[in-house]
Amino acid sequence: MTTLIASSRDYGALVQEDRVHSSIFTDEQIFQDEMERIFHRSWLFALHESEIPRFGDFKLIQLGRYPVIATRDEDGEVRLLINRCRHRGAQVCEASRGNAKRFQCWYHGWTYDTKGDLVGVTGQEAYGDEFKPEENALTRVPRIGNYRGFVFASLAREGMSFDEYLGPTKPLIDMIVDSSPTGELEVRPGVVNKTMYRGNWKQIGMDGYHPHYVHMSVFKIFSKRESTTGSAVGALQLEDPFDDSSQSRTRGFPNGHACLDFREQRRPHAAKAIEELERSEEGRQYVADMIAAYGRERAEELIAWHGDPHLGMFPNLQLIHDHIRVVVPISPDKTEVLMYPVFLKGVAPGINAKRLRAHEAFYGPAAAGSPDDAEIFERTQRGLLGDADPWILLSRGTGREQVDADGSVAACISDEITQRAQMQEWKRLMTAR
Amino acid sequence: MAKQIVNAAPAALAGGILDIETQLRLERFLAYEAALMDEHQYDRWMTLWADGEITYWVPCNDDDQDPDTGIAIIYDDRSRLGERVMRLKDKTAHAYRPLARLTRAVSGVVPLSAEGDELEVASTFVLGEIRVGVQNIWFGKCVYRLRNDPEGFRIRSKKVMLLNNDEAMPNLTFLV
Repeated sequence: MTTLIASSRDYGALVQEDRVHSSIFTDEQIFQDEMERIFHRSWLFALHESEIPRFGDFKLIQLGRYPVIATRDEDGEVRLLINRCRHRGAQVCEASRGNAKRFQCWYHGWTYDTKGDLVGVTGQEAYGDEFKPEENALTRVPRIGNYRGFVFASLAREGMSFDEYLGPTKPLIDMIVDSSPTGELEVRPGVVNKTMYRGNWKQIGMDGYHPHYVHMSVFKIFSKRESTTGSAVGALQLEDPFDDSSQSRTRGFPNGHACLDFREQRRPHAAKAIEELERSEEGRQYVADMIAAYGRERAEELIAWHGDPHLGMFPNLQLIHDHIRVVVPISPDKTEVLMYPVFLKGVAPGINAKRLRAHEAFYGPAAAGSPDDAEIFERTQRGLLGDADPWILLSRGTGREQVDADGSVAACISDEITQRAQMQEWKRLMTAR
Repeated sequence: MAKQIVNAAPAALAGGILDIETQLRLERFLAYEAALMDEHQYDRWMTLWADGEITYWVPCNDDDQDPDTGIAIIYDDRSRLGERVMRLKDKTAHAYRPLARLTRAVSGVVPLSAEGDELEVASTFVLGEIRVGVQNIWFGKCVYRLRNDPEGFRIRSKKVMLLNNDEAMPNLTFLV
């Protein structure tokens, strides 16, 4: 059954308003088409510009099926170069990160600079006069967008503009950036949790319905703590952010972006968050600097929000709590998840160290949260193979959606708006001609 | 770890800094600790830790990544370790249910330095894990700071350097 639908390539039929066909999580051919139609066409998150701050800094990244070198060239521009020698196709860079002014292919010695220009060909005279080095630069990713340090890429020369892709999500990205009093973030090269699960890449996303079950053990432990306002499950001693009676919302944006919107739920907790911060000298300084930078009203809401937009940017970026999460599909049933803790610039070291400990408590292969998520994705992947009844229900809360002023759709925190938004964008991209 | 052993004073390796009997006690202690971890005997494993401040550290990305400026896979003081053990024992933490079947071999037990009743010890392990039909093999090196009490060794700190700490790793749902 699954195979017939997959080979017909009728992707429109696999995604309905309230349900999706499980083959989109399990089928190898569909996965290959996702690489072509989604990852090689849409905008993807590439890296944060602070990961390659100086001339010659580079980092290897994966964009869809493409191995890519992100470089900082001598003009200070971020370049994204496909890691494939134009001669015979070997990767010209193997180190995962570092600093280099030249990338030399060790097959025959062809050499490229940080812009990707071919600057050395071994025995070039044998190619004759018609050989043009400028036509043999490393292939550049054609479109790059940068919003407040977040660098995105599109492997398609034409298509939706970067600005349209971001749409109304900019205020949410601002939330994480502006939790620094200088409005600057730092992602430190090589500081990242690298995890994998044996499940489909579309499993990991925004879901306000799962915490009470998947993370039950964490709720039990964190609810015993005196203070959890900065933690992954929020200020439990104040109220449960995942209760449908709370002010928390699920929200779907155009282009498949989605968030668990805790802004209204957290806003009343500003005073409590500030009180906790002000127990230390470093915290007092942070509060003062935030007020000086943004004014009291804005600073209070930014502090209450903890720089946590809880935003998923379709298809491969999530901004959750203290980290930037990159989703790397490996195969239909294998996904890597890279979690980069975000450091705030302009704050005392103790503030960032505290953020690191909060991150580690919930995220990573041995933490309190991530393993239970990965486990449930793996159980789902195994269950989906039994596709006698192939439809997965995403209908929760369809009767209580409401459209807000920015065009986004919101409903109660446990409603499946986020999944519906992501799947409708999946359908749009997979059926686009 | 190898680096620590390579950098140890020649005397620590040639003559050894412990008498043979203490070395044997030490190896038995680490074998006992390994068995408690293999068998998920969390409360008994906790009794191997010393009183006072303790550190259980599994670095991420780099064996020496500073936890103040970088991330760790585990960086527990006593209170965080206590919560970790609560979760390991909790039936609602489904990543740990069913429990993994584990067998590990500990070897290369080399005392690096001794100061008063405190010992710094390096060791190596290979760990086989089977859970829900999937077998994983883990490799790692440890550096312990142990207190050599008359009633036995107690752990003041333990640093576990996983060979794959900079690779995409599956769930680590047991003690290392």
